Amino acid sequence: MANTVIGSSLIIDGEISGDEDLVIQGTVKGKISLRESLFVEGSGVVEADIETQNVEIAGRVTGNIAATDKVELKSDCRVVGDIKAPRILIADGASFKGNVDMDVKG
Amino acid sequence: MAQADQVGIIGKGIIIKGSLSGGGNLVIEGRVEGQIALKNHLTIETTGKVEADIRAEELTINGEASGNIDASSRVAINTSAKVAGDIKAPRVVIEDGAVFNGSIDMEVKLPDDI
Amino acid sequence: MASPKELSGPAGNTVIGPSILINGKLSGDEDLTVRGRVEGELSLTRTLIVEPSGVVKANVSVKNAVVSGVVVGNIAATESVELTRDGRMVGDIRSPRVIIVDGASFRGRVDMGELPPGRPLPERPRTQVRPAVRAALTPARPPVLPPRPAGRAPGPAFVSSRPAESAKAPPAPPPAPPTVAAGAKKKIVVKKKR
Repeated sequence: MANTVIGSSLIIDGEISGDEDLVIQGTVKGKISLRESLFVEGSGVVEADIETQNVEIAGRVTGNIAATDKVELKSDCRVVGDIKAPRILIADGASFKGNVDMDVKG
Repeated sequence: MAQADQVGIIGKGIIIKGSLSGGGNLVIEGRVEGQIALKNHLTIETTGKVEADIRAEELTINGEASGNIDASSRVAINTSAKVAGDIKAPRVVIEDGAVFNGSIDMEVKLPDDI
Repeated sequence: MASPKELSGPAGNTVIGPSILINGKLSGDEDLTVRGRVEGELSLTRTLIVEPSGVVKANVSVKNAVVSGVVVGNIAATESVELTRDGRMVGDIRSPRVIIVDGASFRGRVDMGELPPGRPLPERPRTQVRPAVRAALTPARPPVLPPRPAGRAPGPAFVSSRPAESAKAPPAPPPAPPTVAAGAKKKIVVKKKR
């Protein structure tokens, strides 16, 4: 399976879309829509609305997140924005500000 | 292509001003200024210097050329070449080290969604 | 599934997978491999590799570019641009070194920024200046009618020779006049500002 990695020195300002896993170690501003999993690593900075199936966040995210399956906030992450997903995991040590909506319809 | 076997050479000491045309292959080691129309393969050697619009089937440049180039099959700009002008050919090759300034017009098949 | 860290390598090499579309501005200080699609603007201080499945529809400013896929847009490279045998490009290239391999297709302008022929030229020091690279890249060639490049594979040879060259470290090839190098740099700075 092909994996897309946005390296730590990379800055993307715009839209990312696709049908495969995406790993962000760099900076993405704009919008992300995926049909697979998104990983925001410790060095990753995302200022974008996110639509995806799964998200795992260890870095920083500012923006609203809508996942069709699961959102996982790892310890040390910083997330500001609303989260909408059927399953949401928030680890001890994670910091999060925003609303959580687990009642997904469509 | 019986003519293709013939190889004409314009030697180092020769300078031609005017138009040059014909069949067969030609190697230019000297200077040509004007116009060149050749049915077959033209080679401009490292010592060759051409200031002319060139039409040929195939063109190999090791020396200097300035002017527009129209080749029906292929243009090769080799390492030692220095070329300025516009090139029209189905195949164009530029080797590393060559110097080229100008435009290239080849057929480019792009995906439909571009 | 493999850990994401393993995928990127220590030097930080970004890969845009085949199903990914990025629309916007992309900039960075690492190598970028495009297997998917990038539209907009792309500026890197290192190498852009467009693989056969990759499509870049953008104005590009990089150090090196190796195009095996499709590029529509202009490329300004401070070092080199190579179109490999699968490369297809429409747009203008501005780079001190441009390599177009047989099989590649290209429409547009090439600006390598050197004295135009016709003016008196100094005897070419070029081959002596970079003997190591030259020797590695081009096999001995008979003086008349060079061989058809049937078995040649300049793509990989070029890629593998890159580290050797950068290790030698003259920032710009000496034959290039300073005016042109300055012009090329200026253009990139302007692009980055935008």
